[in-house]
Amino acid sequence: MIEVHELTKRYGDVLAVDHLSFAVPSGQVTGFLGPNGAGKSTTMRMVLGLDAASSGTATVDGRLYVAQPTPLRSVGALLDPGAVLPSRRAHHHLLALAAGNGIPRERVAEVLDEVGLQSVGRRRTGTFSLGMRQRLGIAAALLGDPPVLIFDEPLNGLDPEGIVWMRSLMRRMAAEGRTVLMSSHLMSEMELTADHLIVIGRGRLIADTSMEDFIAAHSDRQVVVRSPQVEVLRRLLGGRAGVRVDDVDGGPGLLVTGLEAAEIGALAAAAGLELHELTSRQPSLEQAFMDLTRDAQEYRSDAEPTR
Amino acid sequence: MSATTTGSTVRADDTRAREGTVASEQPAERARFRHAVHSEWVKIRTMRSSLFVVLGTLASTAGLAALNGSSAGGDHARLTAAEQATFDPLAISLMGYLLAQIALGLLGGLVITSEYGARTIVGTLTSVPHRARVLAAKALVLAGVALPVGLLVSATGFVIGQASLAGQGAPHLALSDGLALRGIMGGSLYLTLATLLGLAIGTVIRSTTATVTTLFGVMLIVQAFAPALPGTLGDWVSRYWPPMAGGQVVTGYRDPDLLGPWAGLGLMAAAVAVLLAVGFVVFGKRDA
Repeated sequence: MIEVHELTKRYGDVLAVDHLSFAVPSGQVTGFLGPNGAGKSTTMRMVLGLDAASSGTATVDGRLYVAQPTPLRSVGALLDPGAVLPSRRAHHHLLALAAGNGIPRERVAEVLDEVGLQSVGRRRTGTFSLGMRQRLGIAAALLGDPPVLIFDEPLNGLDPEGIVWMRSLMRRMAAEGRTVLMSSHLMSEMELTADHLIVIGRGRLIADTSMEDFIAAHSDRQVVVRSPQVEVLRRLLGGRAGVRVDDVDGGPGLLVTGLEAAEIGALAAAAGLELHELTSRQPSLEQAFMDLTRDAQEYRSDAEPTR
Repeated sequence: MSATTTGSTVRADDTRAREGTVASEQPAERARFRHAVHSEWVKIRTMRSSLFVVLGTLASTAGLAALNGSSAGGDHARLTAAEQATFDPLAISLMGYLLAQIALGLLGGLVITSEYGARTIVGTLTSVPHRARVLAAKALVLAGVALPVGLLVSATGFVIGQASLAGQGAPHLALSDGLALRGIMGGSLYLTLATLLGLAIGTVIRSTTATVTTLFGVMLIVQAFAPALPGTLGDWVSRYWPPMAGGQVVTGYRDPDLLGPWAGLGLMAAAVAVLLAVGFVVFGKRDA
């Protein structure tokens, strides 16, 4: 379990992380979301003791990272896949990390095997693609077989097969009872992988909820309507309070926000309009996230008129 | 040095059943300083520059000893009596320390600047979050490399340099002379201090290029310009500038205006200790 309490990081006048508190429980994949610059990486770095907190605490299983008896056996982390010496061979890179925690050298071959790099373990990491470096970084995170895993953008550079592999790895780790915290900007993947979400913006907590609740709470319900009399329909629906009508992607039709499908059907029937399609859109994490951050931006521009 | 490189062959029957388990099989041993030292040893051993530095140091020391020995030896007969009185076979044979100190200082710097350059400092500090432990392990491993390398290059330089002097019929020393032992041991200690100086500078400034530049300035440029400095300042620098004072340990002729060999080396050691202490403070406080 990762616990962050009133965590704050200040760079001069800028608050990168602003009194952030949340807990990441074990046994599930927790997605860590936020726009660029929201403070996700800084938060992860403070959990790992790489950056010092200006105030507040971040602990793993009740201990500061620096107080972990064997850090790699408590927490495995992938922060920066590019963080390898290009002239060093992959297995030496892992061996140096393992040695620092007294992890036996046999474990290096095991994790290389686990991430599918067994055949290239003796190559210099400078010859690796970004996807291979991601896998090497994941191998490093798994060295100590830790109960807590922290992944910052682990899907960057992975090919489709790699993304599916990564998803099943994280699901398996959570199923084994581990704590898994992952950040990603790939919303569709996040929706497939994570059970729980922590969303931050400008260093502050915006949401800490289950995936279903988050999507239900933050996405507007939308309905796709297609009709030969699309312009008539647009005037009919668009004039109503609280209703937004946009063009739908892929052919003539309307994307209606703020009305249920049944209401639209009734209005069209009353006006004698012919409908060819009337579909409720399944709300997605991507939609919910966009809606939420759009709201947050509106809130911010109201709150800080001097900028 | 390379006894521990092999051994991580992939096992075909490597299927660990660990469904439903989280804890590691063996009871976790608390990570200690010796683990950090092992980690740093693996890193320095697998850094390509390490081998280049050692070979380069050896080649430049041996080469300079041969060239300097035969050229100075050839000139000896034409020197005045006063010049012959200050003729210093030890210093002539160990001249290569001027280059060796830069090479080993660079190795000391690279051990930390390469981590910042490649960002591997992130992995290093997640494996060993105790900052002081990391830096102390780096210093210990560097000393463990520099001391024998320093011994090897000093002995090689001495033997080749004295042979070259002998070949020219100039005064020369034997390995059995007390001065030889002091020069070789002292040279080795001096080069070890130079390596740690590189580590201290690299820790504080983090950039490889800036570290090399600083090492050149501190170890060669000041030395080259000291005679040109005005009177008292020049005398003071020649006497007390740590690398110059430390360099007295590889000279045989005693200039009464300069510190003695061991006093000079002690001054160098004190300066390196102070800079390393600064390195520990900075490294401990700074975000990775």
